[in-house]
Amino acid sequence: MRFLGYAVANVFETLLRLLPFPCRTGLIKIGKPQKDSPVFLTCNYHLTVQRVKRALKGMDAYLLIANSRGINVWCAAAGGHLTNHEVISVLKTSGIEGLVGHRQVILPQLAATGVELKIIKEKTGWRIIWGPVYAKDIPVFMQNKMKAGRMEREVKFPFIQRLEVAISWAFSLSLLAGIIAAIFFPRVFVPLILFIWGLSLATFIFYPLYGSWLSSGKGSLTFSLLVWGVILLALVLYSHLSSGISWRFLIRWGIISFVFVFITTLDLKGGSPLLAGGFEELKVTIDEDKCRGAAFCETVCPRNCYDVNRKKHKAILPRAERCVLCGACIIQCPFDALYFKNPEGEVILPGTMRKYKQNLLGKRVMKTGNNR
Amino acid sequence: MSTYILMKILESAPSRYDLGIRLLTLGRLGKAYDRLTSLVKKGDRVLDLGSGTGALALRAAQKGAKVKGIDINPRMLETAQARVKAANLAQNIEFVEMGVVELDKEEAESFEVVMSGLCFSELTEDELRFTLKELRRILKPGGLLLIADEARPRTILKSLIISPLRMFLRIFVFILTQTTTRALKNLPEQVRTAGFDIVSSKLNRSETFLELVARKPGGREK
Ligand SMILES: C[S@@+](CC[C@H](N)C(=O)[O-])C[C@H]1O[C@@H](n2cnc3c(N)ncnc32)[C@H](O)[C@@H]1O
Ligand code: SF4
Ligand code: SF4
Repeated sequence: MRFLGYAVANVFETLLRLLPFPCRTGLIKIGKPQKDSPVFLTCNYHLTVQRVKRALKGMDAYLLIANSRGINVWCAAAGGHLTNHEVISVLKTSGIEGLVGHRQVILPQLAATGVELKIIKEKTGWRIIWGPVYAKDIPVFMQNKMKAGRMEREVKFPFIQRLEVAISWAFSLSLLAGIIAAIFFPRVFVPLILFIWGLSLATFIFYPLYGSWLSSGKGSLTFSLLVWGVILLALVLYSHLSSGISWRFLIRWGIISFVFVFITTLDLKGGSPLLAGGFEELKVTIDEDKCRGAAFCETVCPRNCYDVNRKKHKAILPRAERCVLCGACIIQCPFDALYFKNPEGEVILPGTMRKYKQNLLGKRVMKTGNNR
Repeated sequence: MSTYILMKILESAPSRYDLGIRLLTLGRLGKAYDRLTSLVKKGDRVLDLGSGTGALALRAAQKGAKVKGIDINPRMLETAQARVKAANLAQNIEFVEMGVVELDKEEAESFEVVMSGLCFSELTEDELRFTLKELRRILKPGGLLLIADEARPRTILKSLIISPLRMFLRIFVFILTQTTTRALKNLPEQVRTAGFDIVSSKLNRSETFLELVARKPGGREK
């Protein structure tokens, strides 16, 4: 019965993934927690809470649900809905301070884009420990004495998740387009829906084949045109084989496929957690003089871009091309040694990232003197 | 594309905010704010919780009060600051990025008035309880608590009519402003439990909007 509820919630919320699903905030007890039991914190996106609870099964722990307005951890943290304020609030108002003797709270690492370890410590005395990206890795994390290995710290885009994105995308799009088609062009309704689902599924399932090509900075426009070209070819072939070339058929479906290919593929960078959503011209830059090798950046980077040279105590970016511009490293560096810079030499400083997160990212660049 | 559009909407939130809110409250908000701030006096120290774009704070400052507005959204504060500057009221209003549960640094009994427009319905239950307790501490004896907010209808029939309507409005407002709210249940009771006297409590006819004036006991009666 429990499982059925979990399954239904999964299906339903996958279909409507683009909408928020808030659930109750505050304190949840898992098992029979004691004064020294671990304290976890997560967002109040319903599905996330379900998954975390599942991962904690069999443990004795406290789970704090912060008010992220029903949005998942990464989006909420990047958009300014899961910030210091929400974390401070749930720590202070949930009553947890009276229940445990320690002051350590485990946050999902992706919250590092919005929540500052340093401020939480200053304002509440609680020490944040960055837990794994995915809830399912929590048991491993606990076995390793609360250390997340490189694998558990990296955002991935596995088949199942790609399928989820494809389905939610196709569902929302076919709902919208389907209503319009049903009213104005009832004849194309069925093939249109099939086309949308086929396109979405193919785009996301074949992602590994072209993902690295896209992330190497190639425009998504080129990519969209390529996909459209392939579909055009297929259309010509189909019409040639079935009843001989029909211009009306080709023009109609040429236009329809053009529209939907662009709607679907132009958003790839937003839909995939492995690509920067625009603003690729920004690069994370290390101020060598300020860096002291504290390695906070290495810990929070969800793309494993960093290494730290332990002898020289300096961070390096050997895998900078994987960066998704989440800003977590910049926000967490205790010495303000990191910032964004574009080719024109304009920068986005740590203070700006901490305040506004990813909101209006591209518009927050500013000129600097020549001290950088 | 969808995320792109959503991002755009989110980014421009403060400017659309007023529009979204006005839709949700169907225009009665401004009048309610005028009525509530008519209780503010010249020279009063006033705290505005969840000041947003500054609608209440500006009204109070225009009456000659010293206002402190707090909000957790830096973009709201940015917009509010610009409006205060344009209205030439910068000496009378101070805006701070701070949550309602972060008032511990405020001295006890240091405000004549605390007001809040549409902010309590954005709080969690725990937050609301915690905040009311803090407000009782920082208000001067006899000080006023002024609230205008969304309420949940108490009559079942009205509730049945309002819920679907509100659901629809809510999705619309979410798309416009990226905020969700939870209409308040039993706010007057909660305020009384926290140790305030209710001066007046007014629901509109559909019982969806509440205007509340409460007073911390003690001090001179007005
Ligand atoms: C609906 S707006 C109302 C703004 C303004 N009072 C008005 O009427 O125009 C609510 C505001 O409360 C703020 N808010 C929400 N939760 C808060 C919290 N915990 N602490 C402080 N402000 C909060 C939001 O950022 C938002 O600006
Ligand atoms: S960049 Fe900052 S966080 Fe990274 S190693 Fe250097 S000082 Fe530490
Ligand atoms: S290097 Fe890029 S991906 Fe890694 S934390 Fe910094 S901004 Fe995020």
